[in-house]
Amino acid sequence: MDIDWGWIGDHTGTLGDHAVIHIRLALLPVLFGLLISLPLGVLCRRWQWMFPPVLTVANILYAIPSLALYMVFVQYTGLTEATVMIPLTLYSLSVLVPNVVDGLGSVSEPVRQAATAMGFGPLRRLLQVELPIAVPIVIAGVRVAAVSSISLVAVGQLIGQGGLGYDILRGYQLTFQTQMVAASVLIVLLALVTDAVLVVVQRLLTPWARARGAS
Amino acid sequence: MITFEGVTKRYPDGTVALDDVSLECPTGRITVFVGTSGGGKTTALRTINRMVEPTGGRVLIDGGDVRERRPAELRRGIGYVIQHAGLFPHRTIEDNIATVPYLLRWNKKKARATAHELMERVGLDPSMARRYPFQLSGGQQQRVGVARALAADPPIMLMDEPFSAVDPVVRGELQDEFLRLQDELHKTIVFVTHDIDEAIKLGDRVAVFQTGGKLVQVDAPEDLLARPADDFVAGFIGHDRGIRRLSFVPASGAPLTERDVLAADAPVERAREAGDGWVLVVDGDRRPLGWAATGVLPSSGTVGDAALAPIGHTFTVESDSVRAALDAAILSPSGRAVGVDGDGRLVGVADQHDLTAAIATSGAGVAAEPADTPPAEPVKGGAGD
Amino acid sequence: MNKLWNQIDLSWTWLTASAHWHGDEGITHRLLQHLFYSFVPLLAAALIGLAFGLIAGHTGRGGFVAISLANVARAIPTLGLVLILAVVEFSIVPVLIALVALAIPPILVNTYEGVRNVDEDAKDAARGMGMTGWGVLWRAEVPMALPLILLGLRTAAIQVVATATIAAIPGYGGLGRFIVDGLARNDYQLVVGGTVLVVLLALIVQVVFAALRRLVVSPGLLGSARSS
Repeated sequence: MDIDWGWIGDHTGTLGDHAVIHIRLALLPVLFGLLISLPLGVLCRRWQWMFPPVLTVANILYAIPSLALYMVFVQYTGLTEATVMIPLTLYSLSVLVPNVVDGLGSVSEPVRQAATAMGFGPLRRLLQVELPIAVPIVIAGVRVAAVSSISLVAVGQLIGQGGLGYDILRGYQLTFQTQMVAASVLIVLLALVTDAVLVVVQRLLTPWARARGAS
Repeated sequence: MITFEGVTKRYPDGTVALDDVSLECPTGRITVFVGTSGGGKTTALRTINRMVEPTGGRVLIDGGDVRERRPAELRRGIGYVIQHAGLFPHRTIEDNIATVPYLLRWNKKKARATAHELMERVGLDPSMARRYPFQLSGGQQQRVGVARALAADPPIMLMDEPFSAVDPVVRGELQDEFLRLQDELHKTIVFVTHDIDEAIKLGDRVAVFQTGGKLVQVDAPEDLLARPADDFVAGFIGHDRGIRRLSFVPASGAPLTERDVLAADAPVERAREAGDGWVLVVDGDRRPLGWAATGVLPSSGTVGDAALAPIGHTFTVESDSVRAALDAAILSPSGRAVGVDGDGRLVGVADQHDLTAAIATSGAGVAAEPADTPPAEPVKGGAGD
Repeated sequence: MNKLWNQIDLSWTWLTASAHWHGDEGITHRLLQHLFYSFVPLLAAALIGLAFGLIAGHTGRGGFVAISLANVARAIPTLGLVLILAVVEFSIVPVLIALVALAIPPILVNTYEGVRNVDEDAKDAARGMGMTGWGVLWRAEVPMALPLILLGLRTAAIQVVATATIAAIPGYGGLGRFIVDGLARNDYQLVVGGTVLVVLLALIVQVVFAALRRLVVSPGLLGSARSS
């Protein structure tokens, strides 16, 4: 495999621009997904019967190829960033909702009872006790969702919105390996850096948590 | 005063957790709910802070129905300690203890100062204030749980098997400190346990619950031991309830003698005069050294030269119970217990017959005081040592 | 909404027209290709993921490395990998390699976590009764970790089935062919029809794994585990 280092040197600017777009396209959906899955997860904890159907719907959405989902949304939102971000948001739900439910479930019964007995109302208990204790498991889900999202964005280039996906597809069309490899390696690096940042965020947010396995 | 008036809890599936329970938990005293599992003791406890709503009857605090108060507010005024402490894993020790003060909107400085003060009170090093619960041992966590319940200085404390999850040695320490704390604080405490020994050690009054949520007896611990209301209570207390009652008979009533006691510098002939058996050897300060067997004394010299058998443990005459004295007698090679004063100096010796006589004359025999007299303080402290 | 309904109607017509099911360009042939593209990588990933997951989980060593490698694998953009390899070698192998990389992380992570989280007391009891390392693994750890292991396999299978469509981009077959061709020709009927087939396949995978779970997981473990 021949890598043309000169080309990379000449194109750090464009690659950087594409990387910024890439990160935005990948991470905003995870943020939206988190905002949706938190209330959804709380509801699923509150009414247990809701969880299986919600999970099944999330799993089915997950099974739709991203390419196909992009095509469906193109007709409504055009060749815009939204068309890429909506499917990614839906995908993130299939990871985040179960993790929010598990996280809330990790609050032990004595803790819940102690909170009630000390005079926490249901809302205050949720915000000050249950959600903070759920943080490590929720962040574990965010890590998986973020990394997957970053590697999935590239496919969006097929509708013209793919961040570094542009360089992969362009390089393929020109059979110019350097551009493809550089973009792919950058995507892996973005994912790993994002993952590392999330690990640090978790350490800072939850100094009380014993070392848990990363998953 | 907490009053139960015909409190009943019947679940929709027909199970009865509490069956027409009426009792009073006097202000400033420890009332222990004890019984078999499924006896409804925890359910009864939880009706007080409205964690369980009765289906019949009323629970009153100082004459006011608890249902007239909003649950959250009611609970902030009642301390609650549970078996596994239920500490918030995401908060430091000081913030755990200050939970209720924060809810009551105290300022942070005052809340934390209170937390530090309470840590010392319950025997925790204040340097642990910034640690998290997982960094503490089970016993330490339980102390934090007690401190947290005390933080807003509530007049009432509910304790649901608070010491059950720790090992027996730590449990004993926690119980002793709990009694010491109560001597200072005089809270109205309702304490749930399945351990009859704990109930008798801690309770000013003990309420025995039977499966099906029936309250079968409420009495001071010594009365419970003296006159169990029925076979269930007798069986629950166990076959050694006679021995346990001796914990409530002060050893100071036992007749003590100085027969067969010799100083270490006495000649062996004096010991031989004592006849067949044992003499107690004491030093010049009257501290017991050991038992000398008269059959195997050296031919000459002092009794101090003889091989002495160890005393085992002594009992402290002013503070120990007859139970401790009797135990000392049983473990002693001579069959006699050695009573000492607070400084460890000999007061006198008593054998098992003397002690039995003390039991008979103390009034702790079959007849006992009427049930409505104030409960006697159990004699604190175990065997003297 | 009307537009969507129209499409579904059109796709239904497309799907049910018998002519579309036959021949080298037909649905049957594409479906078989798709199954082949999915099954081979899944099998390879299962062998790799289970082996490393079981070893790391059982010995308690190498867990951090296994999880980190899984995370790196997750980060690899499948599209990039397929196209790079396709430039080097024009065959189906690049697609299969990319799908293996995609399927390993969920299998590896779930196997590792499943084995590692088996109740310590149960493992202790197994050793106490005289089981060897292998005995503990096969008779205690694997059966107890099965719900999580199956969950990992299922996640991987669904991801692979959905992602195998990517084979069509460098010019291979499979159900992705309909989607990519439909896209090129602006024929949404073809796109949605292909998508429906992929989703149906994924649903079948779900059902198969639900059945497998009933079949191989001890009922004693299902009480507390999540039901789907």
